[in-house]
Amino acid sequence: MFEAFSQQFALFGSAAAQAFGFPQVFVTMAATVAGIVVGAVPGLTATMALALLINLTYSMQLPVAVAFLLGVYVGAVMGGCYSAIMINIPGTPSAAATALDGFVLAKQGHGGQAIGVGIIASFVGTLFSILILIFLTPFLYKIALKFGQWEYFLISVFGIMICGNLSTQSTPIKGWIVGFLGFFTAMIGLDAVYAYPRFTFGNYNLMGGIALIPALIGVFGISEILSVLQEDTPYSVESQLGRVFPSKELIKDILHTSIRSGLIGCGIGAVPGAGEDIAAWVSYDVGKRRSKKGHLFGTGSYEGLASAETANNACIGGAMIPLLTLAIPGSPPAAMFLAAIWLHGIKPGPMLAIESPDFIYLTAVTLIIATLSMLVFGLALVKPMVKILKINRKILMPIIVPLTVIGAYAGNVNIFDIHVMFIFGILGYILRKLNYPMAPLVLGIILGPTADISFRQALMQGQGSLLPLLGRPVGIVLMLAIVWSLYNGIKSSRRYTASLNTPSGGEGAAQ
Amino acid sequence: MSQTQKTTTSDLIMGILMLVFGIYLIFASLNMKVYSTFLDAPGFFPLILGIIFILFSLVMLVGALRGGSIEDAKKTFHKESLAALFLSSQAKRVFILSFFMVVYIYGLIGRVHFAIATVIYLFATFWYLKSTTLLKSIIISVLSALIISAVFQYAFRIPLP
Repeated sequence: MFEAFSQQFALFGSAAAQAFGFPQVFVTMAATVAGIVVGAVPGLTATMALALLINLTYSMQLPVAVAFLLGVYVGAVMGGCYSAIMINIPGTPSAAATALDGFVLAKQGHGGQAIGVGIIASFVGTLFSILILIFLTPFLYKIALKFGQWEYFLISVFGIMICGNLSTQSTPIKGWIVGFLGFFTAMIGLDAVYAYPRFTFGNYNLMGGIALIPALIGVFGISEILSVLQEDTPYSVESQLGRVFPSKELIKDILHTSIRSGLIGCGIGAVPGAGEDIAAWVSYDVGKRRSKKGHLFGTGSYEGLASAETANNACIGGAMIPLLTLAIPGSPPAAMFLAAIWLHGIKPGPMLAIESPDFIYLTAVTLIIATLSMLVFGLALVKPMVKILKINRKILMPIIVPLTVIGAYAGNVNIFDIHVMFIFGILGYILRKLNYPMAPLVLGIILGPTADISFRQALMQGQGSLLPLLGRPVGIVLMLAIVWSLYNGIKSSRRYTASLNTPSGGEGAAQ
Repeated sequence: MSQTQKTTTSDLIMGILMLVFGIYLIFASLNMKVYSTFLDAPGFFPLILGIIFILFSLVMLVGALRGGSIEDAKKTFHKESLAALFLSSQAKRVFILSFFMVVYIYGLIGRVHFAIATVIYLFATFWYLKSTTLLKSIIISVLSALIISAVFQYAFRIPLP
C-alpha cells in the first residue's frame, strides 16, 4: 500500500516537473489567455479552437502540446461568460445558461461583479474536477483493465446512446442517427482486419479512410462560420461594468452552490460526449430546484450564475476521466484533445497506466496551472476583454476559413482532406439547421473503429455465439445501461411527437 | 412556414433518406467479401448499421406521419413556400458564402499560391458581407493572407496547400 502510494507520488512529482518546466508553464499561461479571448468572442468555440490548433502541435514536444491545448480548453470554456454576461450572447454554447442571470446583472450595472463571480465559480469547478480526476482515475484503471473486446463494443454503443439522449433538444433518435452516421463514417476505407475496401467507390483517396481532424474541423469550423454569418445579429455591449472582484459575503454565498455544481459538472463530464453545455443546463436546473433562493434564478441571481459557470468548467476534469481510462472523450473539446494526443503517440485506455504512467498527472498538473492562470488573467483582463467583444464578426469569421483550410491540410499534406473538411462542414451546417446535435457525430467517428473491431473480435472469441459474452458482469451492466437509455430515449421521443401533435406544444417543442 | 411544419417535414424527408441509406448499407455489406466466417467479415458491422438505420428511420417516419407530415410536406413543397425558403435572405447568404468557399477550396487552392487565393476569397467575402469599407477590405484581406501564410510557413513550419 505504502509502496503503491509512494510510486504514485513519484509519478506526480515527475509530471509536475514537466508541467512546470520551461517553456511549458509559459505556454500554458499564454494559451489560457488565448483561450479566454477565443471563448469570449461569440462564434468562436473551444471545440473549434482546439480543432484548428491540433496541427500546430505537430512539431511540439508532448508536454508543450498538452500545455498548449489544455490552456486553450480551460480558458475558452470560461471565456464564454464575458459575452454571455455583457451582451447576452454566449461566447461558447456552454455559457448559454450563464446569460440567463449574467445579462440581467449586467443591465443592473453589476456586469463586472457578475464576471468576477463567473470566473471564481469556473476556478472552483475546474479545480474540483481535477481533484476528482487525480483520485478517481487510478481506481477506474483497475475496472477498465477488466474490459474485453465485448465490453469495448458495448461502451462504444452506450456512448452513442447516452450522448444522443443528452445532447439533443428534440428527439433522442436524431442524436442516435448522427452518432451511428459517425460510426458509418469510420467504416469508410480499408477494413482494419482484412484490408478490404469498404464504401470507397474505387476512389484511391478514400482507401485511407476519412481523416478524423479534417472532419472535426469541418463540423465545428465551417458549419459554425456559416451559422454565425447567415444573419446579422446586431448587439450592444453593456457600458456599466462596476466593481469586478466579488465581496467576501458573495463568495461565501456561492461556495455551497459551487460544490454541488462541481459534482454535477464533473459527473456529466464523465458521460461520453455529453459536454460543457449540458453540464451547465443540468446544474442550473438542479440549482433552481434545490436552492432556497431558486425562485430568483433568471432574475439576476449570483447563485444561478455560479451554478452554470461552475458546472461547465467542472466538466473539463470530468471529461478527462473516460478519455484517459477508456479513450472515450467526455465532451467535444475533449475529443479534440484525444485526437491531438493520438498524434503524439499517447494511447489512452487501461494500458496508459502502464505505458505512460505519468501522463494522467501531467494532464492534471497542466490543468491546475491553466486554472490558476484562468483565475488571475481572467480577473485582470475584464476591462480589455469587454473591448474585444466589440470585434466585428463579419471580419473575423471569414479569416477563420483559411485557418480551417491549413488545419485540414497540414496533417497528411493532402488537398483531398480540405475537400473532406468542406463536405463535413456543409453536412454539419445542414444537420444543425435540422436540430441534429453534433456531439454524437464526433463521438461516432472516434468510436466507430473500436466498435467495429471489438464487436467482430468478441464474436470470434465467443466462436460465433453471443451466449458466452452475455454472462460477463461488466458487460451485463453496460447492456442494462444501453437498454435503459434506449427506453428513456424512446419515451422522450414519444413525448416530443405528442407535443408536436398538440397545436400549442409544437412550437415550443421544436425550439 | 411554422417550426412544427418544418420539423415534421424534415423528419419525413430524413426518415425516407435514412430508410434508403439503410437498405443500401445492407445490400452493400452483403456484397462484401467473406474471408473465413461472416462474423469477422468486413460487411458484418455495416450490415448491423444498415438494420439500425432502417429501425430508426421507421420510428422517425411513424412519428412524422402521426404529426401530419404529409400535409406539412405538401405545404412545404408548395411553390410559394419553396420560393420563400430559397429566396429568404438567410438562404441566399449561406448559398453565396458557400459558393465563395467552393471557389476558394476547389477552384483556387492548389492552382494559385495560397496567399493569393486567400486574398481573393477574403476580399470577395468582405465585399459581399459589407464587412467594412472597400479600402479597409483590401488592406485587411492582404494583411491577413500574408500574416497567416508567413506564420504557418515560417513560425510553425506547416506546409501551405
